[in-house]
Amino acid sequence: MFESKSGIFFIAGIGFFLLAFLGNGAVPMLMYKDRHEQTAEEVVNKKVLNQFADLAERYPEQFRAAFGEASAERCAEALRLGRQIYVGEGCWHCHSQFVRPVSNESRRYGPVSKTEEYDNELQRPVLFGTRRVGPDLSREGGRRGNDWHAVHFYRPRTVSNNSPMPEYPWFFDGGPDKPNRRGLALITYVQWLGSWLDEYPYYEELAEVKGE
Amino acid sequence: MSDTHPSAVRPRAGMSRRQAWVTAAMAVVILIPSMYGFVGKFLEFVHIYRGASGGEFAVAPILNYLLASAGFFCMLLWAAWNGMFRDIEQPKIDFLENERLLDRDTRP
Amino acid sequence: MTSRSQTAAAVHDRPAHGDLVDERIILCYYVAALTFLTVSMLAGILMALQLVHWNPLNGVELLSPGRWRMIHTNAVAYGFLANAFLGTLHWAVPRLTFHKVASRPLSWFIFVAWQAIVGLTAIGIIVGPTFQDQPWLLDLAKQWRLPMNLGAQGLEWGETPFWIDPVALLGLALVAVNFMVPIGRSKGPMYVSLWYFMAAFVWTFLTYAMGNLLPEYAVAGTSAGAIGGLFIHDLVGLFVTPLGWGLMYYFVPILLKRPIWSHGLSLVGFWGLAFFYPLQGIHHFLYTPIPMFLQYGAVISTIAVELVVATVVINFFGTLGKKGSEFFTNLPIRYFYTGMVFYFITCFQCALQVTLTFQKLIHFTDWVVGHAHLVMFGVFSLWLFGIMTYLFPRLLGRPWYSRTLCEYHYWLSSVGLFVMFLDLTLAGVFQGWYWASLQPWDASTDGSQPFWITRVFAGLTMFAGLLCFLFNLWMTWRGAEAAERSTSQFAAAAT
Repeated sequence: MFESKSGIFFIAGIGFFLLAFLGNGAVPMLMYKDRHEQTAEEVVNKKVLNQFADLAERYPEQFRAAFGEASAERCAEALRLGRQIYVGEGCWHCHSQFVRPVSNESRRYGPVSKTEEYDNELQRPVLFGTRRVGPDLSREGGRRGNDWHAVHFYRPRTVSNNSPMPEYPWFFDGGPDKPNRRGLALITYVQWLGSWLDEYPYYEELAEVKGE
Repeated sequence: MSDTHPSAVRPRAGMSRRQAWVTAAMAVVILIPSMYGFVGKFLEFVHIYRGASGGEFAVAPILNYLLASAGFFCMLLWAAWNGMFRDIEQPKIDFLENERLLDRDTRP
Repeated sequence: MTSRSQTAAAVHDRPAHGDLVDERIILCYYVAALTFLTVSMLAGILMALQLVHWNPLNGVELLSPGRWRMIHTNAVAYGFLANAFLGTLHWAVPRLTFHKVASRPLSWFIFVAWQAIVGLTAIGIIVGPTFQDQPWLLDLAKQWRLPMNLGAQGLEWGETPFWIDPVALLGLALVAVNFMVPIGRSKGPMYVSLWYFMAAFVWTFLTYAMGNLLPEYAVAGTSAGAIGGLFIHDLVGLFVTPLGWGLMYYFVPILLKRPIWSHGLSLVGFWGLAFFYPLQGIHHFLYTPIPMFLQYGAVISTIAVELVVATVVINFFGTLGKKGSEFFTNLPIRYFYTGMVFYFITCFQCALQVTLTFQKLIHFTDWVVGHAHLVMFGVFSLWLFGIMTYLFPRLLGRPWYSRTLCEYHYWLSSVGLFVMFLDLTLAGVFQGWYWASLQPWDASTDGSQPFWITRVFAGLTMFAGLLCFLFNLWMTWRGAEAAERSTSQFAAAAT
């Protein structure tokens, strides 16, 4: 093989395949090293901190056991854990996280998604999603109260008519008023989604949605 | 390799005029969009290199694609050089013949 | 000229089938594949029942439909398809090349390792989230700014937990070595199947590395989305498709007892795929923040790949030619050609749905789910069922226990799948319009109920087909112990 001229092509071919494999590591290292990727600490904002404090007020015992106090640092921890739960439980298979510029989506959800929104640790890997059984969640933060989310995770159909979403009682110590650490973290994460935007419409208020 | 074994044992594969025509036509029809795609990728690469907005996202997949394609191109040249396309219809006959011989041993 | 006589010379001192093929490992792979297929289909049924509010196991943590949905997709791709392909390759590659695989102990090591990888992935996905909340994991996540999920990672088909990825990559590299050695040792021009297999080994490794490492470790945000799209796409296109077509080019001529219509055309198709298929990943994320010029490029090349598909379809129907009656009398051939018809429908659908016009409506809907089932079950699973229907009697050394059950398997699988495909495609159109019309969200889920209920029954039909096959296989296999021991080496290998 090595002595023939054609062997050069063969070896070059294999070489290119290897380069393609190595490129997976080299390209990001060379190209993206200057791009700043926000950490979980950096994406904690006022809105999500308020929600975090609200959780501490609403479920004091549970919250103290899980996170202690409602500080920014603990909030970042909750976001990290919340995202891990979100991914591990497969939430992202039924809920997307991006608003398209078509199909009236900006009216239903809010501003069309931009690249900058995804440049952070909590989008690693990015959770665009591939299927929407439930609504998009990228503008979900602040839409509903923490108690609504707690009840919804515990038994979705009590607050959401005919919802096909599964129940998640293991986020609670016995009842919807006692979310455990995983439950509190997941609620914090959901309340964070979209909280970086100034505002977005509440589509329940749209005339079409209300059916007027 | 020895040339002792008479290749006449095996049926020869010919290519009918229609087969040749369809093969050639499809080759051209595929080649043109393929080249379009390839050149397109290359242009994208240049585009990104010049700093099109948000373009750096695509560098990893494009580079991956270009390198893998270069790999396959070398393989194509290697195969062509080794005469793999010289008698292009023969492998299909040989392979069936081999199968028949293998099964003759094992099947009553 | 020389190359042909080389092949002829190889025939002269040709090794026997028994020396070439390790039949026991093929049986083991098939058993593993069918086990994972059963698990996967049960998981699919669980998810389907959840959507129509009939899930009897609601609220059980380890049977959460969210986690089992990932078992459904992963068990099919890595458990069923990969195992069945590997098993079949142990038959096809040595017979095509006249050389044994690189090493039999290595084959067995790969077999065991692969089952461990798939099994651990399943265990990771199911129990990982339960034990996610560990201080040391959070510390690691904070320190390295990585997801550190004990369970699934957030990329479809890339869910394999991060602690398994390196092992899986090593396994794939060993697979490539094990089969490339016989291919490298073979002399003369290669038959098209070998080209496809070789490409699949290279691509699977590259694709897996790209999808499972980059979006998790190297890149965040939209760039990871572009790579993730490429991964989802290429896993089907560059791992499943070339192996599938390679095996079709191998089995169809054998069963029809006539060579492929045009070997030249098949090579044109192969090289078209080689240069062309990997371009299109981004079409999975149209209208995302990924730059528009990239999205247009992906759309155009996807439509153009239909030409490649056309070469393959022309070639196979040319091969069938006047032997069309075989379609009705020869069950494996019927499986193969049904799969090809479904393949053509899939690809035609691709060309339509990849356009931005269609995407507006059908993205995120059940249309996509229907498309995925059509390609994974309707095409590749049917092909593998056909191959198994052909090979099991040879491996076990006796005919099928019941030809009728084989027929049931075919009809239940293909009809169930086709109903599911039509049903989900239609559901997707409805869902798209429900959403665009800005009705309350409930309208779309309530309006989907009739489709989802139909889907449950279509899924149960497919599962019934599998049960027929498993029962038939069990009875055929058991006959081995009851009946007198055959002297044929097929039977000897089976015991």
